[in-house]
Amino acid sequence: MRKIEKITVTIDGSQVSGCEGMTILELAQQNGIDIPTLCHSPELTPIGACRICVVAVEGSRTLVGSCHTPITQGMVIYTHSPKVLETRKVIVELLLASHCGSCYMCEKANVCQLRKIAADLEVGLPRFQTRKRYYPIEDVSPYIQRDLSKCVLCWRCVRACNEIAKQNVFGIAYRGFNSKVVVDFDQPIDKEVCQDCNVCIDICPTGALSKPREVGEEKKGRPLVISS
Amino acid sequence: MSKGQEGVLPQGKEQENLLVMLERAQSEFGYVPEEFIVEAAHSLNVSISEVYGVATFYSFLSTKPLGKNVIRICKSLPCYLKNSQMIIKSVEDEIGIKPGETTPDGKFSFELTNCIGACDEAPAMLINNDVHVNLTPGKISQILKSYK
Amino acid sequence: MSEKRIVLKNCEVIDPRHITTYLTRDGFRALEKAQKEMTPEEIIEEVKASGLRGRGGAGFPCGLKWELARNAPGDEKYVICNADEGEVGTFKDRYILQNDPFTLIEGIAIAAHAIGAKQGYIYLRAEYHHLLDSLVNAIDQAKERGFLQHVDIDIREGAGAYVCGEESALMDSIEGKRGEVRYRPPFPPTKGLWGKPTIINNVETLMNIPQIILNGASWFNQIGTERSKGTKVFSVSGDVKRPGVYELVLGTRLKELVEELALAEKVKMVQVGGATGRLVPYDMIDTALSFETILGAGAITVFDQSRDVIDIVYRTMEFLAEESCGKCAPCREGTEAMVEILGRFFRSEGMEKDIRVLEELSSAMMLSSLCGLGQAAPIPVTDSLQYFRNDYENRIK
Ligand SMILES: Cc1cc2nc3c(=O)[nH]c(=O)nc-3n(C[C@H](O)[C@H](O)[C@H](O)COP(=O)(O)O)c2cc1C
Ligand code: SF4
Ligand code: FES
Ligand code: FES
Repeated sequence: MRKIEKITVTIDGSQVSGCEGMTILELAQQNGIDIPTLCHSPELTPIGACRICVVAVEGSRTLVGSCHTPITQGMVIYTHSPKVLETRKVIVELLLASHCGSCYMCEKANVCQLRKIAADLEVGLPRFQTRKRYYPIEDVSPYIQRDLSKCVLCWRCVRACNEIAKQNVFGIAYRGFNSKVVVDFDQPIDKEVCQDCNVCIDICPTGALSKPREVGEEKKGRPLVISS
Repeated sequence: MSKGQEGVLPQGKEQENLLVMLERAQSEFGYVPEEFIVEAAHSLNVSISEVYGVATFYSFLSTKPLGKNVIRICKSLPCYLKNSQMIIKSVEDEIGIKPGETTPDGKFSFELTNCIGACDEAPAMLINNDVHVNLTPGKISQILKSYK
Repeated sequence: MSEKRIVLKNCEVIDPRHITTYLTRDGFRALEKAQKEMTPEEIIEEVKASGLRGRGGAGFPCGLKWELARNAPGDEKYVICNADEGEVGTFKDRYILQNDPFTLIEGIAIAAHAIGAKQGYIYLRAEYHHLLDSLVNAIDQAKERGFLQHVDIDIREGAGAYVCGEESALMDSIEGKRGEVRYRPPFPPTKGLWGKPTIINNVETLMNIPQIILNGASWFNQIGTERSKGTKVFSVSGDVKRPGVYELVLGTRLKELVEELALAEKVKMVQVGGATGRLVPYDMIDTALSFETILGAGAITVFDQSRDVIDIVYRTMEFLAEESCGKCAPCREGTEAMVEILGRFFRSEGMEKDIRVLEELSSAMMLSSLCGLGQAAPIPVTDSLQYFRNDYENRIK
């Protein structure tokens, strides 16, 4: 077997070492440095989509995603430089700008990672106004309720369903701003396709996926549809 | 599924390629029908949502039926500088529909598209796979007449 | 004049339908030389020594890319020719494919031989479906003559997505998936198509290869500037009397191309490199065209004094928002936010703070987006804010 190389890097001014193949995020965490993440989950293959976890690396033109970039010998990394913090802040504000849900009304507000990251970065009212993503709540399934107006397109549910639950219920459809996590032909999720495993609900960082409050009881009335 | 559709599933090493399959369906049926998506998902052993996801990513694939002929006028800057607005207007007048619509007789669908690489002869448009360049409002009626 | 035909040497000279006309002009002699007289390592050395850099926009050294792929472990490797040409205002690859498919095929065949690939792909954008038959015909003729015994070349068609010109999205598209961008590293030369070592080169880059092999690196090396060797094919459109394709020695001044060759008058501004390219105001028209200065994929869109800068930037941003793949947040949401702000300026409803917000947003998108689309999307905004700031300030409500 090949010997595992020790790699020494400088992270926020101190020299630390890690193993070959480790990501910047893993090394930072090992050394007690907190880097916010949204699309990343240690149980899933990284996709590098949200860009919240960016850090500065000397010699790199852009910031790099720490959740997927492996450490290399001699790397000099800054996880909390002003540039890094400002960039993360803009990204969170962008996500909040198109986010329809009101935290006040959201059942998952206390566990919402987007909200926590926003608070940590001291994000106030977003600087930007974009179209809002509004989708009616999907509550036909007894196992899962989807409120995609709160989705941040982290793809965690897609990957979790695929990689952990091995079910492949979700896919990503459309393109750009209109991208959306869909079931079949973009239909509301129902009990035919979903097996009540909770994997995606637990892994969703926002209030987009949740347990229906009263399992089994059909909700009355049609969802309010506001066309943009 | 009807017999015709089997021939559309590609053979050999392209057999396993979802995008190639969808492109075939598009050119055969003028759109990617739902049954085709279901069939493709089965034959590749992937979920319907995954196939639907690919079909809706690309702007030359459509999951809704389109007209027999698809007009795509270039709306990008170089054509815009050469008055593509007027071309759009004359197509609208000629066939009586707006971009994004299909004529009631199903003869034409009308879309706007991004640069089609004919900016040296702007304004330009595609009808199906044919490129029409150096357009003027006066030429539109003649061109459209040649599509049955 | 600095016009020089290397890449376009055969265009409108040979008959693109008949390989014989190509053979009489040294056709496939470079491949023969590469296969019989040179080792793959020597070919790569030659390409490296030539100083050839990618013509698809990023300008990466071609020989270095090949070397990485050659040295990457594995038997299964791929060569991809990027014929997606989606950048607004670019049509030079179309012109090349129409007029000289054979040189391209020879270039691909040499590349395959050099890195040890048995399979090549040409990724052709859907908008160029009209070129498919002629390209297939050219490949068939080369095959019949026995030039492609070491490599199969297949054409894969796009289906309408600008982002699929980006190399990682392009590979996903060839794999039959949504054309979404992948994070890097790993880079394609180590882990590309189907996870195998892959090189991706623009059409024009590969067009240079046969002559570099035949005439040698030192011949190629003499043309151009310090860090930009050879020629570049430009696509000129917009407010000019003679739009079209021009091949110029690298380092030629923009003024010569725009005013002397394409006969533009009363120029206000030139967009060099399409939607993600640079804006050059008229007082900088003396800028040289090279990798050291400005170049991109060589789209030259000329705007005369009657044009409105905000209108141009706004339309450009609409294009980018529409074509963003949607995977990474800064590009997906950022282009949308920019469209919103620019739209207000377009309608003369800008706000005082908008200019600062545009600058902050630009910086974050450039620094954090996953691919070149989002990283370069703010360029028209930052350039116009630099050179035409008044146009913004005058539209604040
Ligand atoms: C959004 C985007 C679109 C691109 N489109 C093209 C294209 O249409 N053709 C092309 O050759 N390169 C395109 N590129 C550049 C490719 O990613 C890649 O760098 C290039 O094909 C490499 O070839 P080269 O080194 O020969 O230039 C694009 C890049 C980005 C970020
Ligand atoms: S529903 Fe939740 S887990 Fe799925 S993509 Fe949206 S935010 Fe992520
Ligand atoms: S957490 Fe790294 S990109 Fe999302
Ligand atoms: S802008 Fe219309 S063809 Fe390029």
